[in-house]
Amino acid sequence: MSAGTQEKSLLRTVWDAFSFSEIRTAMRVVFRHMFVKPVTFEYPREKRTIPDAHRGALGLLRYDDGEERCVGCDLCEAACPSRCIKVVSAENPDRPLSRYATEFYIDITKCVFCGYCVEACPVNALAMTKMYEYSTADKRSLIFDKAKLYDVGEQHIEDAKRYLYAHNQEKNDADSRAYRYKFPHQVAALTPPQDPS
Amino acid sequence: MALKPVTTPDAEAPSIELSIDGQPVQSKAGVSLYDVISQTGKIIPAMCYHYTFDPFGSCGMCLVMVEGKKAPVRSCTAKAEAGMVVRCEGDDLHAARKKAVEKHLTIHPLDCPVCDADGHCELQDMAFQHGVQNLVNAKPKGLPEDRRSLVLDINMNRCILCGECINICKDVQMVDALQFFKKEGTTHVVAKGDVGLYCEFDGDCLAVCPVGAITNKYSKYVYKPWQLKKTTSTCAYCADGCQIHLETSGRDVQRITSPLSWKNKWGDRAETAKGHGGLCVRGRFGFQYIDSKERLGMPLLRTDDGLVPKSWYETMEVVVERLSAIKAAHGPNAIAGLITARCTNEELYLFQKLMRAVIGTNQLDSSARYGHLNFTRAMQKAVGIGRMMNSYEDITKAKTLLLIGTDITETNPITSLRVKEAIRVYGAQVIVAHPTLTNIAKLASHPLPIAPAGEAAFIQALVKAVVEQDLVDEAAVGAAPEAFAALKHAVAGLSWDTVTNQVGASKEAILEAARMYAESPRAIILCGEGVVRRADGYTAVLNLVDLAWVTGKLNKPGCGINAIPEEVNEQGAVDMGVAPELLPGQSSYADEEARAKFARVWDVSLPDAQPATSANLMEILDRCRRGAIKALYVVGENPLATLPSGTRVKEALEKLDLLICQDPFLTETAQLAHVVLSASTFAEKNGTFTDLQGRVNRVREALDLFEEARPDWEIFVALGQALGARMDYDSPQAVQSEIMKLLPGYYNLGEPRPVQAHPESYLSQGYAQDVGARYALRGDTAPAGSFSLMLGQVLYHSGKLSTRASGLIKLYPNKGHLKMHPDDLARLQIGEHDAVRVTSGRGSVEMKAEADPDLAVGTCFFPEHFNQPPVKDLTECVTDPVTSVPSFKLTRVTIEKLKGTRA
Repeated sequence: MSAGTQEKSLLRTVWDAFSFSEIRTAMRVVFRHMFVKPVTFEYPREKRTIPDAHRGALGLLRYDDGEERCVGCDLCEAACPSRCIKVVSAENPDRPLSRYATEFYIDITKCVFCGYCVEACPVNALAMTKMYEYSTADKRSLIFDKAKLYDVGEQHIEDAKRYLYAHNQEKNDADSRAYRYKFPHQVAALTPPQDPS
Repeated sequence: MALKPVTTPDAEAPSIELSIDGQPVQSKAGVSLYDVISQTGKIIPAMCYHYTFDPFGSCGMCLVMVEGKKAPVRSCTAKAEAGMVVRCEGDDLHAARKKAVEKHLTIHPLDCPVCDADGHCELQDMAFQHGVQNLVNAKPKGLPEDRRSLVLDINMNRCILCGECINICKDVQMVDALQFFKKEGTTHVVAKGDVGLYCEFDGDCLAVCPVGAITNKYSKYVYKPWQLKKTTSTCAYCADGCQIHLETSGRDVQRITSPLSWKNKWGDRAETAKGHGGLCVRGRFGFQYIDSKERLGMPLLRTDDGLVPKSWYETMEVVVERLSAIKAAHGPNAIAGLITARCTNEELYLFQKLMRAVIGTNQLDSSARYGHLNFTRAMQKAVGIGRMMNSYEDITKAKTLLLIGTDITETNPITSLRVKEAIRVYGAQVIVAHPTLTNIAKLASHPLPIAPAGEAAFIQALVKAVVEQDLVDEAAVGAAPEAFAALKHAVAGLSWDTVTNQVGASKEAILEAARMYAESPRAIILCGEGVVRRADGYTAVLNLVDLAWVTGKLNKPGCGINAIPEEVNEQGAVDMGVAPELLPGQSSYADEEARAKFARVWDVSLPDAQPATSANLMEILDRCRRGAIKALYVVGENPLATLPSGTRVKEALEKLDLLICQDPFLTETAQLAHVVLSASTFAEKNGTFTDLQGRVNRVREALDLFEEARPDWEIFVALGQALGARMDYDSPQAVQSEIMKLLPGYYNLGEPRPVQAHPESYLSQGYAQDVGARYALRGDTAPAGSFSLMLGQVLYHSGKLSTRASGLIKLYPNKGHLKMHPDDLARLQIGEHDAVRVTSGRGSVEMKAEADPDLAVGTCFFPEHFNQPPVKDLTECVTDPVTSVPSFKLTRVTIEKLKGTRA
């Protein structure tokens, strides 16, 4: 604006000072906005609708029968570019021949929300949710452990499923479901339990 | 029939020329075409090929086009011929190989995420390389997993039937435990007879399996290859010097792998003569002691409440204060030290320096005293070489191998593979003189059962046979005619009747063995615990030198005398001078000049070589008992659990004012200690081990230190400094550079140093006077008893250390059973559940008995690793008159059945 840089005349300056021109200008804006729909909203009372493909906090999922999906294959750890995932796996003592994660950590302070881990997961055990509110005074609580991750997954199961559909991870395809859901268990079911001796 | 390497020491294959992808290539006729191609640097995919055994040709990946053939041929099973024109690249070959991968993948379960081989799988790599995207008619087999074995799970769904496991087990290990087996229309890999696999568990099948069909129970599902940190180190069990890869995550050892793997499949078959890179059961599955819960995390100090964990600061203060007080009150000779040969060379060097230069006593010894010193001292004296004369390659390419008193497949399994390769590939004649029908005797061309303790007499008989049958080498004996005359006179004094009686073999068998040995162009003697761990071990080794000398085999290439040390660094302990009679570099401690050299370098005056200031293991224990030694520093040794109670070790240790034990575990000896210093295992420190060939192998730190445990060298340095000496080493490398200065060429870049025998001065000076006494058979002084009780090593264990490895204990637990021949059991009417009482002059022990048909009638066996029941206490301890080597692994006992002891 060239007007601002121009030297104001003395008369103009005196007139502005006596007529409270700044206040008039400001009030004009205020009154105009009384009749305009605002672009902001009042968080946290109001919340934005989040798209299904949104990359929020990670959660671990269970099958519908409550069984853990994760087989502890560690592919998420291998795929993670910021190295924030740590998986410790073992053979499931209750179900010989099935692998599961005994420990699972995601350091959410390091996570860059790229979603590679979800993409790498062969059993769709990981999904991103619409959860983004986890500010805390204690940074240590931002290292999500297995219990916390399953907790997130349980509370946001619908969002997680929508995320997987949106990212083309899970299809409503019977074959793919059969493969994924029966994943390592076919052999396990056939193998007789080990002799306790 | 095994395909021999085309070039053997005896025959050279003709050279041929062929063309590969338009390039002319020189090769030897009869070599696998695959080898020729891989030598040019081209890599053709192959899943069933490994250079250590004959090509099998089952995977169908190594296809090449040979001019004149319509279809692609499998290059591994094709032999190179002169004038061949070979093409190994092209779209048609790529397509044919892709088809082969697809064929394997259609029946492969795509369970990669849970498979332990994921990321380390050749089928995965091949599918990726060949761009396999879609599979039509994928039909996994859906078979249950074979989990019957104690360690190895076999999942036939993943198997691609490449046969590598079967081939390596049959050809390299000669164990032949696995086979193909047709069950319900599918081919399976099963243990022989379709039972649970129980074999030597060397795990080579696991190493070469290119997919995840064979997996390891001890680390099942706990890792993915990319999670593990891989550290190359040296195995700390026996002296074979095997390189191992410790694969760790955090502070846990997850698995141990070998250089032998499907990934290292390209190599020259003749190179396996130097070792095939595999491991044995101890090396591969015996790693659990490193993370054991029994490890000492803190130093312990004896207070009124027993041993209490204390900080290093407090503990070292007590140690230094009390050591200084004892030294001030009673002189340096009131202090003595023992160290285990499981320490690194640098630690052994530091220990002897600490004892000699800082404390000022020559009362120190290592576990090489239990046998290896018999061999090294005799060889030093006779030919000037204090170690094995031959390398692995010599053993593999020998014509005749004479194994005396060694159960080599149990004590040194990887060295035994060299003997097996000599048998299988190079057609060697092997004579095995051992009281038991050992595994190597079963494979040998000439098993020669002898009486227990008959080894020394057998050696004398061989010398007698060679001299009397005129099998001598004229040039060799002509150089020392006086010595030969004396030897001839000495052996003439032996009567064949008494000799054969003591040997327990017929004269004909002995003569045949002598003839085979003498007439062979490349003859190697391997002896073991049956020779060197006996009270007359020193003279027995000297007699072996006679045998090699008169047959002209002392300086002939490919011939030699070898004794196999059992513990990992026994050779290093001798080389580092951890014995009162030796200085580093095996110079004699009595040698003023050598001593002056070390005194100058260390800037101290060394204690003189008087008997009052020097003491070996048995003398140290004796002086402890007499009260002359007030303080004993025991590093990793456990004499209380090793020596029989007849040696009154407990009494000796209890008499001490200060017993310092330094060990990763609270051993039996440590339980008596006033101070226990927590030490590290080999996985937590840097250094070197010297193996039986004389190669110096690196030991690398794979794990962070366990709690407050510290490496032994650090403790020695701290102790030395606290005692006021200048020991400013900041790492094992600093110690190494001092050793390098003092013993130039010792490390020799990890290669065995060549040896040259010099028997001249030995034969000319005093030989004639001594030889007579050496060829006198000892009278039967052994106490009466109807059975010979032998304590010995088993494959699954090494010393007492391996009993802390849960994986090995699972494979070979201490059942507390005495092994006897089934005929003896039947004769004494001992049933499966009956207890027996084993009695010797030292007492009696009650235990159960079990049958072992490999034992000779009249002998019984108990593994030396276990003290429950205390069988070792039945034995007499006899010491060698020259070297003071204690011998306690053999005794006479009576066995009777206990009545009414049904369990």
